[in-house]
Amino acid sequence: MSAGLDVHGFTVVSNEPAADGLMRIVLRAPALAAALAPGQFVNIHVPGDASQILRIPLSFSCADAAAGTVEIVYAVVGDGTRRLSEMAAGETSTAVGPCGNPWPVVAGARRACVVAGGVGITPVVACARMLAASGVAFDAVVGAQTAGKLWGADVLEGLGAGTVAVTTDDGTAGRRGFTTDALADLLARGSYDVVYTCGPEVMMAGVARLCREAGVACRVSMERMMCCGFGACGTCNVAMADGTYKSCCKDGPVFDAEEVAW
Amino acid sequence: MADKSMAESSVSMAVDLGGVRMQNPVNTASGTFAFGSVFEDFFDVARLGAITLKGCSAEPWPGNPAPRMCEVPSGMMNTVGLANPGVRGMVEQYGEYLAGLERRGCRVIVQAAGHSVEEYVAAVELIEELCPWASGVEMNISCPNIARGGALVGGTPESASEVVRAVRPRVHRPLLVKMAPVRVPEIARACEAEGADALSLINTINGMSIDVRTRRSRLSKPTGGVSGPAIHAIAVRMVWEAAQAVSIPINGMGGVASWQDAAEMILAGATSVTVGTANFYDPTCAADIVDGLASWAAEQGVSDINELIGAFEC
Repeated sequence: MSAGLDVHGFTVVSNEPAADGLMRIVLRAPALAAALAPGQFVNIHVPGDASQILRIPLSFSCADAAAGTVEIVYAVVGDGTRRLSEMAAGETSTAVGPCGNPWPVVAGARRACVVAGGVGITPVVACARMLAASGVAFDAVVGAQTAGKLWGADVLEGLGAGTVAVTTDDGTAGRRGFTTDALADLLARGSYDVVYTCGPEVMMAGVARLCREAGVACRVSMERMMCCGFGACGTCNVAMADGTYKSCCKDGPVFDAEEVAW
Repeated sequence: MADKSMAESSVSMAVDLGGVRMQNPVNTASGTFAFGSVFEDFFDVARLGAITLKGCSAEPWPGNPAPRMCEVPSGMMNTVGLANPGVRGMVEQYGEYLAGLERRGCRVIVQAAGHSVEEYVAAVELIEELCPWASGVEMNISCPNIARGGALVGGTPESASEVVRAVRPRVHRPLLVKMAPVRVPEIARACEAEGADALSLINTINGMSIDVRTRRSRLSKPTGGVSGPAIHAIAVRMVWEAAQAVSIPINGMGGVASWQDAAEMILAGATSVTVGTANFYDPTCAADIVDGLASWAAEQGVSDINELIGAFEC
């Protein structure tokens, strides 16, 4: 159960393209912004279509308690997110949150690396804010399919990342290849205490494998289809290495990579 | 919504669901409300008439692989597979909270799940032993019977009779039977004949959703249970049919998301109304329905909500 879990009203402050297929929405929701910790998520109702009953679970990139705002960079992938992308400044709705558990600050960690693939950048930016605020030095890897879909590398630089390695599948920005290629190099020369990652599951599996080989702790932020986001529906199960299931919303979304059955 | 305090003071809202004495007709559906506690963050759960717990079997069940849910127009589908911590695990984790909820005035109905007559018997025996605080036991006979090739345990009047007959003498408090949405009048009569105190219906309706690009099911299994507003009209019809067929009370559910939906169920013959899928996307919905029903009853000019049960006029 998250502190402050409630149905929070919000007003859209802005909702603009961040990159190809990615939108950046800023919500005014003071109580929610104050309650959220990096790594948690919110479950948003997009008004306007009664045939879409469920909320949309979304990670956030910044919860600014002072400004009372929550920033979410989201991918437009289906009808729900398309309708979200059409919400204009001043429109209102509700968000259930905070959902899930925050990224943990691994005890004694002094150097970290954050690895983002695609829209996984959103909770990774929130993670970088947490690391910056905690005085943990960090490098970053940001991957996308192509240059036009990249977002957040400059934000991570602004937050004080040492190295920001960019990869694209087609080589249109940064290094041609996958985030795991860049991470392998960073692991070879860096001495990280922990790696935090969010992206496609196949990418996170690769990150987890590299970290295991390097003997570095790894925390992953998982995604599942889900209904409620607070532990009532039982639909967001993640298979664990020990053969059990855990709930993505209640036990996660952040897991120790070693726990997860890849 | 009309003035809540006026309505609450003028209409008696208490109902008797086969011996489960509820302060108002609003209940929550098994598998949509966990074990109640998580909803305390959203509202005072003790305001509800009852809650029905996630179905528990004698031993813990892991449930099905992901994805367990997908959206369909005006609804959703699930194939959770009755994942549950087992009766013992449930009591260890939530027993104290649930006993407290009963003391606060909200009835707690424990749901028993099984894949065979033997498994149902084992589950209710554990419930009898470990859940002295529970006001009622609901037996979910919509589970697949593993020994009979996955046919529903309660899919025919004969199989429903068999399992209710086996369980009834072992349950020493009100026994509700959660029916599958098939052959409703016949199976309702069979359950009543075997001594069920009340009937809960409907359960999800089996459905199918295919991703046409991958040609795969959008769930981890070929089929899943459809729930939500999409099935409400079907549910109202089945509740009405059940109410015509038997004299024991009906606990009506299926796509109830507003007080109007709940009122329809009552008019169709439901003594209590259960909120299911709406708990996922509108977590205060059940509490809002308590208020809305009281206002509606007042507007209908009755002094007791019981006067509206089955008051549908053709």
